Amino acid sequence: MTQIILNGLFVGSFYALVALGYSMVYGVIKLLNFAHGDIYMLGAFVGLVILTAFPGLGAGATIPVLMLVLLISMLASGFVGVGIERVAYRPLRSAPRLAVLITAVGMSFTLEYGIRQIFGPSPQAYPLRVTGDPLPVFDAQLSSAQLVLMVVAALLMAGLGLYVDRTREGRAMRAIALDQRASTLMGIDVNRTISRVFFIGSALAGAGGVMAGAFYGSVDFLMGFTIGLKAFTAAVIGGIGSLYGAMIGGLILGLLESFGTTWVGGEWRDVFSFACLILFLTFRPTGVLGTRVVERM
Amino acid sequence: MEKRFGSFKRVGTIVVAAACMALTAGCSGGVAGGGNSDTGGALKFGMLAPFSGSESAFGEYMKNGATLAVDEINAAGGVNGQQIELIAEDEACDATTAVAGANKLVSQGVVASVGGYCSGATLPTLPIFLQAKIPMVIAAANSDDLVAAKQPNVFLVNGTGTQQAQAAVKFAEKSAAKSIYVIDEGDAYSTNLSKAFISQAKDAGLNVSGSTTVTPTDKDFSTDVDKMMKAGTDFVYYTGYYQAGSLVNHQAKAAGYKGIFLIGDGAVDAKFAEITGKGFTDNVYGTFTMTPDMLQDGGAWSAAYKDKFGTDPGPYALQSYNAVKVMAEGIKQAGSTDMDKVDAALHNLKDFSTASGSISFTEQGTLSDAKFVIVTIGPDGKFVLSDRLEG
Repeated sequence: MTQIILNGLFVGSFYALVALGYSMVYGVIKLLNFAHGDIYMLGAFVGLVILTAFPGLGAGATIPVLMLVLLISMLASGFVGVGIERVAYRPLRSAPRLAVLITAVGMSFTLEYGIRQIFGPSPQAYPLRVTGDPLPVFDAQLSSAQLVLMVVAALLMAGLGLYVDRTREGRAMRAIALDQRASTLMGIDVNRTISRVFFIGSALAGAGGVMAGAFYGSVDFLMGFTIGLKAFTAAVIGGIGSLYGAMIGGLILGLLESFGTTWVGGEWRDVFSFACLILFLTFRPTGVLGTRVVERM
Repeated sequence: MEKRFGSFKRVGTIVVAAACMALTAGCSGGVAGGGNSDTGGALKFGMLAPFSGSESAFGEYMKNGATLAVDEINAAGGVNGQQIELIAEDEACDATTAVAGANKLVSQGVVASVGGYCSGATLPTLPIFLQAKIPMVIAAANSDDLVAAKQPNVFLVNGTGTQQAQAAVKFAEKSAAKSIYVIDEGDAYSTNLSKAFISQAKDAGLNVSGSTTVTPTDKDFSTDVDKMMKAGTDFVYYTGYYQAGSLVNHQAKAAGYKGIFLIGDGAVDAKFAEITGKGFTDNVYGTFTMTPDMLQDGGAWSAAYKDKFGTDPGPYALQSYNAVKVMAEGIKQAGSTDMDKVDAALHNLKDFSTASGSISFTEQGTLSDAKFVIVTIGPDGKFVLSDRLEG
């Protein structure tokens, strides 16, 4: 039982990291950024390029190197996220919601198949691997690598929580989520704040990508597709627009999958977890922490 | 809109098929009739192989292997005085793409089909080739579903799921497996292999303690692995592809699994070792058909391949080479490209000598001896022969 919960929490923390970006962007500009999962993939590939360019890095101490690569990939994917917003979403901000949604889908395909053209369709082995001896936790096992990655994910999420709750920029984000026009009138630089939201969301997704590459050992151009959909689901379970909701939603989805695999078998896992979700959303359409009011984030 | 397009396509197919039937009929008549205007044209061999998508690496190997055979045959004077021309189309390991590719080949007037990689993509092309009266020697696809279609024009030069499962059962018996767990990916190829294995293993009195299906696009299989270990498993048969198989193996070993990890031929690839990582390759075995380096005179074949294409032959290059050779022999024996005559000639092949030993077919069009062997990961990460499973 403990093992099932631990496995679920581990997978769930990846979902949560990616779900945060979905939720933040939706909270601020009501856009479902379907290219977000591909930013996760892009982050993993930035890490791959760095590690391939400096083969000496992989030989060094694993954890410090991982942190360094993580940081660079976060910066890179953050800037890509800002660039995508500038090129593909900002010009359409006053266009119908559906047009922007299609742009997002287009952006997703552009990233996926662009990467495929560069790196080829086969999965690439990740040059840096975090492995560690299993640590006993009650009657289950958790590898030290899993522990490190979960701590990193938790720290990133806690940092984001503080940033949005306590800082001036965070307050600006919440203000825009509440009422964009009023925020402009109050002297908030809306474009700049939205760019910041995209930067942070994309950086978190990029971090998730690097961690997945280093832990699982392979990256491919479609790796962001499934996790993107799952993270979107997680964001909806948690109540889209709510940061803490996204985190909780990610963990819930991870646990549902883990229990589904154990109870009804791998082939029925998605049927089980998504049937639970449909049932849940029927009774609580706004998600765990979502509210019916306009206020978001 | 979609519907209109669909019916348009169907009409198009029928027209094309009819045109092609006329063409092939004319062609075979020409050969049988002893040389009229048709004999000057090349015999077109069509090949469906994956050139895009996740399996695209194999398409290139297949095309190269087939090209090598075509060039050899042409250099030796062709088939019944006619040169062979190879036309390759993409199947992308996808049923829709494969059907489009098959129609394209038929419309270009191919007289023989020598491709077919993914079973799920090859299956829907069978009726298309049958309707166009084109004999098929399938190079790589090997699901039993292809045999179950009971088409007289279908021959498989790669062993079927049933034959591969026999090798896996033999290996499980040899390694005294106490508790076997089977994992597939839910697609046609891997479920076929896992079902064949489970039923044969039970017949052989082996203990199959459980089986599961994983989603190959996932990265985390720790819960599946956990379930597998709780069943007291000491022998895993993974029937899917290397992309997810290498991750499952890694995660099983990381969780403390010490038993045998046997993989099907779809997962036998150098990338498996690369992704699963150093220190996790112990006790990994695979059921695989012989590759050139395992054969006695395979060295010469590999050298010829490398000389021509600059790389070592990859998986299914040899099978594709054989498919072309077998098809050419069938047409030669039949003295025509007429489907029924070629089919009869292929059934009558007795120990036709190829680069991987002699080939003859069963009544169902499968190999009489599929020659599956057990491979394991060598020190350089490539799969090497471990057990010939003889005797």
